[in-house]
Amino acid sequence: MIDYLVSVLTEGSIFAIMALGLNIIWGWSGDFDLAFYGYVALGAYMTLVLTIGPATSPTTYILGLSLPFPIAVAIAVISSMLLALIVGAIALRHLRGIYFSIVTLGAVYVLYTFAGQFVPLFNGYNGLSGLFDPMGDFFNLDFTSYPFFYLGLCVAVLLVVLFLVTRLSGSRFGLALRSLREDERAAAAFGRGIYVMKLKAYVIGAGIGGLGGALFAGYLSAFNPSAWSPVETIVLYAAILVGGRGSNRGVVLGVAVMVMGLQEATRYLPEIANQPSFAPALRLILTGVILVLFIRFRPQGLLPERRLRDKDPAGTGGAAVAVEGSVAGATLDTGAA
Amino acid sequence: MHEALLTLGFGLVTAAILSLSALAFTLEYSVTNVANLSHGEILTVGAYCAYLVQQHGGGVILSGLAAAAGGGLLALAVHNGVVDRFVRRGIGGLPTFIATLGVSLVIQNILVIIFGAANLGYTVPQGAPRTVGPFLWTDTEIQIMVSAVVITALLYVIIQHTRFGKSLRAVSQNRSLARVSGINANRVAALTWLLAGLIGGYAGFILAESVGTFSPYSGFSFFLITLTAAVAGGLGKAVGTLVGGIIVGIALEFFGGYLSASYNLAFAFAILSLVILVRPRGLFVGGRRSVFE
Repeated sequence: MIDYLVSVLTEGSIFAIMALGLNIIWGWSGDFDLAFYGYVALGAYMTLVLTIGPATSPTTYILGLSLPFPIAVAIAVISSMLLALIVGAIALRHLRGIYFSIVTLGAVYVLYTFAGQFVPLFNGYNGLSGLFDPMGDFFNLDFTSYPFFYLGLCVAVLLVVLFLVTRLSGSRFGLALRSLREDERAAAAFGRGIYVMKLKAYVIGAGIGGLGGALFAGYLSAFNPSAWSPVETIVLYAAILVGGRGSNRGVVLGVAVMVMGLQEATRYLPEIANQPSFAPALRLILTGVILVLFIRFRPQGLLPERRLRDKDPAGTGGAAVAVEGSVAGATLDTGAA
Repeated sequence: MHEALLTLGFGLVTAAILSLSALAFTLEYSVTNVANLSHGEILTVGAYCAYLVQQHGGGVILSGLAAAAGGGLLALAVHNGVVDRFVRRGIGGLPTFIATLGVSLVIQNILVIIFGAANLGYTVPQGAPRTVGPFLWTDTEIQIMVSAVVITALLYVIIQHTRFGKSLRAVSQNRSLARVSGINANRVAALTWLLAGLIGGYAGFILAESVGTFSPYSGFSFFLITLTAAVAGGLGKAVGTLVGGIIVGIALEFFGGYLSASYNLAFAFAILSLVILVRPRGLFVGGRRSVFE
């Protein structure tokens, strides 16, 4: 029972880290990015090829180093950020709305195809394995105490990420990102460099996703393409939406409900003979239904993002400017259409 | 040269299936302004309906009709149950797009529970390949292409020469203006989705016939290629989409035949990204006016 609880909590913390990263991209910056799980996957793959040592036949993969786990994680995060920089630089330049989503969906499918088909890269569909209990030897842990250590590590990383993200959320950068989400043209009219800001947010979010992926690799000790079918991204989106898009505490709550809660709720279902996929399929059906219902009835989520109050309600300037901004935006819209 | 012509022949078969699927997708988009991410599931459900009929001894024609009916009902249900409610409440294009992704997840996994996640075989007697001009086609492939041409022609007549088609064009250009002109826009949109579903379900049937196997996920994979064709032709534009479907279908077959079939999907998306980045409104804007403009 304790073992089970530890594993659920570890998985939950890892997913919460990923969701916090995606929340920067979707919750603050407002871009519906379908490539996100690609950065998670790259983080996991890089961590593995940097720690599990040289490939032995018949497996093949790049690098094959035996670096210490923390260094491997750092390099993995940087690789995810570099990949996001390339994809984001192309996709964020002119594309918004569904066109952005379609191009990022394309990007993740290209990655997925290459990781699966191009065997010399990450050993194709068989994937990589062999990262057992990272840092376990260093701290002299055995197999009974190790899961507790890894849970502590994941929770600690989650708390650090949560702290940093909260700081970032209230910073000028975080606030400016939300202004882009609400009205990009108005924000541009106030002198915001839209492209660079969105790209920064995208790369930071992807880096956090890569960190989540790295920890995930350590938890699973293996990774292959079936672990990251692009469907996984929808689960993260459902968690963010249920918790409260844009709100950090909401996102953590959303992961608790959607990832851990759903897992628990469907755990005691009767096993149906020769239907091993029944429980996971039911979980995904529930995820889809909850996603649709929340978009329709409670798009702000359970724990909504707090709206900022006008710190000087006596001055009417702010309101007037905001109205002007939206009028200008509307005019531009008609001009473009 | 001969080999290139043979590849072109196979490409035309892919193009026929792809064009139907892309036309259905574009019809859905044109009246609701929603890119339906659960479009692939219409094809999947069509394939399963055809499979069920075939298992019970139905012939090819009956299977095709069942596929169309299944796809049509599903599209109507998705429209009336989800999309229309979102559009009418003024929930924007992007949130509705996300909701259809949820719908797609639900349908896929219902199919997994009913039929299992594994591939099912769909075998029809293909008939001996016969030479038609420079091409080599089986009877089934000829049936696929002829039916695609007939359906496209019918669709053209419906859109251009019927009262319903006129309302469809009006709603696709400006839904509010159509409504104040006395058109029941919700009804037109629902009927258009039904029509799109009929075509999409049939496309799923001929896809299963041509590939020979299918699974709960095959519609979604094919949808990704459909998206390439529809965006290349310009979202919501029927003639452009048709041309986009033909070009992408043939290009895929050449790529698969000469380089590597495993990277087909990646190749399709490379085209898609390029098109979106260079000509986001489609390849054929500014040329001849399309049906919807």
